[in-house]
Amino acid sequence: MTESKAVKDTAIDDQGIIKGIEQLSPEKIERVINQVLKSETGARLKTYVDTCVHCGLCSDGCHYFLAHDRDPKYSPAAKVKQTLWEIIRKKGKVTPEFIENAAVVAYTQCNLCKRCAMYCPFGLDIAYVMSVMRRICHKLGVVPLYIQDTAHSHSVTKNQMWIKDDEWVDTLMWQEEEAQDEVENLRIPLDKEGADVFYSVIGPEPKFRAQLIYQAAVIMNAAGENWTMPSMPGWDNSDMCMYTGDYEMMERLKKAHFEAAANLKVKKIVMGECGHAFRSVYDMGNRALGWKMPPLEVIHAIEYYNDLFVKEKIKIKKKFDRPVTLHDPCNIVRGRGLHEMSRNIVNATCKNFIEMTPNREHNYCCVAGGGVINCGPPFKNARVDSGKIKAEQLFAAKAKGAEVVIAPCHNCHGGLEDIIHHYGIDMELKFFGDIIYEILELPE
Amino acid sequence: MATVEMNGTSFEVDEDGFLLDYKSFTNDWVEYVRQQEGIDELNDEHWKVVNVLQDYYEKNGIAPMVRVLSKLTKYKLKHIYELFPSGPGKGACKMAGLPKPTGCV
Repeated sequence: MTESKAVKDTAIDDQGIIKGIEQLSPEKIERVINQVLKSETGARLKTYVDTCVHCGLCSDGCHYFLAHDRDPKYSPAAKVKQTLWEIIRKKGKVTPEFIENAAVVAYTQCNLCKRCAMYCPFGLDIAYVMSVMRRICHKLGVVPLYIQDTAHSHSVTKNQMWIKDDEWVDTLMWQEEEAQDEVENLRIPLDKEGADVFYSVIGPEPKFRAQLIYQAAVIMNAAGENWTMPSMPGWDNSDMCMYTGDYEMMERLKKAHFEAAANLKVKKIVMGECGHAFRSVYDMGNRALGWKMPPLEVIHAIEYYNDLFVKEKIKIKKKFDRPVTLHDPCNIVRGRGLHEMSRNIVNATCKNFIEMTPNREHNYCCVAGGGVINCGPPFKNARVDSGKIKAEQLFAAKAKGAEVVIAPCHNCHGGLEDIIHHYGIDMELKFFGDIIYEILELPE
Repeated sequence: MATVEMNGTSFEVDEDGFLLDYKSFTNDWVEYVRQQEGIDELNDEHWKVVNVLQDYYEKNGIAPMVRVLSKLTKYKLKHIYELFPSGPGKGACKMAGLPKPTGCV
């Protein structure tokens, strides 16, 4: 095993990074960096790097900085200094050790949550700069092992969890059958041409959390929705390739997703409660493919559920009575502005709502996002340590009486679950789908 | 990486608490995870899940989908979650000594 600096300093033992670094030479690094800088980043990166006046206002925007007692190393500006500034200054002439540290910073010390961009006087998007660093690392073959495994699964199967086509369909039929014990004649309609709603999910739902598909089916059924799910690849809207920096695969995945919906001539795509998948469909993947906005109407589950309440398409038995608080996920709040709509749903479904502070677009990150949780066990301890500020925020909401945290994003769930467990916060996590399913009045 | 101990046997685990080496699995490991997961008592059904997971993993090098687990054990999804409150991926796979599944889990 290489006794390299970044690994030793941070006690990180990641074979994806270690083996990747072993394959590097200074010539290869310089060639790849210049290839990316010349052909992919253009005016955007140059503007960001040239405009920054090193004022440091971004620091307080970052939960890593706050969680590490304001250690300057974790300031967003410092993360740029440890990556792209040096790279540009040295015109790509950096060492393998430099790349190793840059990979650890870009993949595991930034959730790409874009909170810092709001505190920058110029609105510079440091998440973009970190994404460029990841792009370089991907092209150099220096990617943390666990998230690279997920990217490999995307490449082979077009879903993130190595699910085979027959297993996917079998899972849907299985959940249809189980749901029929509760709702007679419930269907999960496959490949229904011309449906109003094409419902897509992320790999972990069929792999382990099939109850989420069950619940969505019960809600769609109660709403009398004309909906469908695809039997073919394209059903998984998630995209870890977007986070490893494998933009070629990101484009293929998004194309498969849009095409699955377009082939069925559906009116719109409704995505489950996932944040990063939404970013990939509504921001990064579609734009990489050349569509400024998605080629088909795509809405997040929050928009869909809100619409069900506004149009009174579903009824509830009674409101959820345990006190709840709400976690605003970065990709659908800073990324799409769904914070007020989320609150509409909370107010329509819950008796007692306690805001956590800060909230809405100022909310602190779950520390799982941006693919950080997907980098897996080698970075778990560093991740939960960096969740200190989030833990304090949750403790404060709990002190005001909140017992349940609603988080409408899978990655947020994973991250918050680890933080709640690690800091002994003892709060329960739920999706909006869990709450709606629990209080839903089933039609006669 | 860390080391945990149960009944005098040490086990190396990753930061998520999964066994680092599948081959170091013993019944003491099962006992360790049972306590960690807050499961009162193990019954034949827990063991059936563990055995099915191990059998599948040894043949395929990956954890099965919960659908496959359900087919092979004849347990409904809800029942699998009753047996393992942290779910098939984080609870049952951990007890069976499998590595932490990759992906958004």
